[in-house]
Amino acid sequence: MRAVLLVLLAFTSAGPLLLLVVQSLGGSWFFPALLPMDWSLDAWRFRAGGDAILRALGTSLALAVTTAILACAVAIPLGRSLARLRGWPRHLAAAAAFLPVAAPPLALGTGLQVVLLGLGLGGSLAGVLLAHSVPAIGYLTLLFLGTFTLFDARVEDESRTLGATRAQTWLRVTLPLLRPQIAEALIVGFLVSWTQFALTLVVGGGEVRALPIEVFAYVRSGQDQRAAVGALLLVIPPAAAFVALRWAARRTVVALS
Amino acid sequence: MASRPASGHALHLHGVSLQFGDGRGITGLSLSVAAGERVVVLGPSGAGKTSLLRAVAGLTSIDSGSVRLGTVDVTHLPPERRDIVYLHQSPVLFSHLSVDENVAFPLRVRGERGQAVHARVSAALSAMRIGELGARATHTLSGGQRHRVALARAIAGRPGALLLDEPLSALDPTLRHEVREAIVAAQEEYGPAMMLVTHDLDDAGRLADRVAVLLDGRIAQVSTPAQLFARPATLAVARFLGLYQEVPGRIRADGAVASPLGVLAADALYATPLVAAQVVVAVRVEGLYVGPPAEEAVTGTVVAFRHRPGGTTAVVRLASGDQALELEATIPSRDASPSIGDVVGLTLDPRTPLVFPAAAPSCST
Repeated sequence: MRAVLLVLLAFTSAGPLLLLVVQSLGGSWFFPALLPMDWSLDAWRFRAGGDAILRALGTSLALAVTTAILACAVAIPLGRSLARLRGWPRHLAAAAAFLPVAAPPLALGTGLQVVLLGLGLGGSLAGVLLAHSVPAIGYLTLLFLGTFTLFDARVEDESRTLGATRAQTWLRVTLPLLRPQIAEALIVGFLVSWTQFALTLVVGGGEVRALPIEVFAYVRSGQDQRAAVGALLLVIPPAAAFVALRWAARRTVVALS
Repeated sequence: MASRPASGHALHLHGVSLQFGDGRGITGLSLSVAAGERVVVLGPSGAGKTSLLRAVAGLTSIDSGSVRLGTVDVTHLPPERRDIVYLHQSPVLFSHLSVDENVAFPLRVRGERGQAVHARVSAALSAMRIGELGARATHTLSGGQRHRVALARAIAGRPGALLLDEPLSALDPTLRHEVREAIVAAQEEYGPAMMLVTHDLDDAGRLADRVAVLLDGRIAQVSTPAQLFARPATLAVARFLGLYQEVPGRIRADGAVASPLGVLAADALYATPLVAAQVVVAVRVEGLYVGPPAEEAVTGTVVAFRHRPGGTTAVVRLASGDQALELEATIPSRDASPSIGDVVGLTLDPRTPLVFPAAAPSCST
């Protein structure tokens, strides 16, 4: 029974990825053939500078990196402030942070589009960046709310009486102690943006060609090989993040009580 | 005060009032700690000892009064500008820094670099007898080593005063001894004013030059440990110390005190001027002995034994009196050890009892 379950798990987790690899390397492939009739690396040949997938990859990377940094910069002080609240204000603030996380991206995008269009940011990279930042800030604020709730504030007290100013304490003690959590938050922020489709589509209006949009376009136009290549590229960062987080979890030694 | 280096500054608290907990507070507290002196603030849990230390360190504010280090009024200065280091109950080390870097921290934040820092760190580690631990990561240290590193870091910057919050609580006896030694060594390094808080009489007795008893938001007594334990100033202090048993008494016309333990002469050691006829006679276990019943002695029945580190004592129920009174008494020698149910005589060492008004007077600073 266990073997059957393991095979099922392997099929559901690795199966789609394996199919993507085969599809990206296959030429003609028609039902009911189990494998492609011919093999080719054509879909993996990128035209330097002018390749749509490479451009989309660059756009997605830029968006995800910037979103992660921006969201971290907002969520760290926000999470710290919220962690100091008690009673209903804390619950209310946590609910507010959770709202953009729980809301369907399509609904979020539709609402944000109105504001961003008004600001002249509709269809722009900056608009999409702001849109991605909304759920990312929600996620990271919740993450840092938990982090700062558990953070041992005594280290900051001790630092201050040892002669460190508030700024020195923040830079020399608090942030270094939170390095694992910040790295984790950057990865989460990156992935929130990286996997956005609906928000990019609605706010970007088709003008901002991030990788998920490009892959979708290939799927719709029947370019299955290119779609498979794009999809495989989409998988790489989450897989790398998974490995990184597992590694970091084993090394995390922080002043958390 | 023991002779020791005193290059720190005297710490003066004048009329300090502050609130803590659920509306409780400290009112008008004044206390001075000389450079090189160790003053232990002793009080029950919830007395505000930690709140007081945190306020002196600048981590919380006071409602009124002033805190002065040497000639500098630090009342309104932020913690980093007070030159007063506060150490938590359990050592709080910076886990992202090595032992060396932890100890160098107070020097680094004030911009010191190079050989001078290295020399100060080495000196502080050597004073704490952990010179070999410099390169270690903090999570590899034992409990005693962590305390020593925290103390080394505290003295590396040579602050004018050190505040230690319950530094020995929750430690096993061996570690307690080690940390106590480290505290003494830390202070002897250059003689800062040191203020410690504890609720442990043994710690207070071993560490303090003077003890300040904090009760009900006020300093109830300031004295040497020997004076405190021998002559608590009030019944409230005596009760807090828990060293005394209470026996009701009454002042007779001739000034002597009549009690179930007999009549105490008028020159008995009155701890406070008596203004009431009804009094409380406070008796220490060590001042009350069981012996063979004699005609002139107070007699009672042994009802239990209590086994303590210092020896076994007998609980004696007094035979006379309106109400049952049980007192714990020393058994002078093993040969004379009574059994449960034996009738024994009780002898009071006339030098040890203290007499207080039955209604404890309010504490005064």
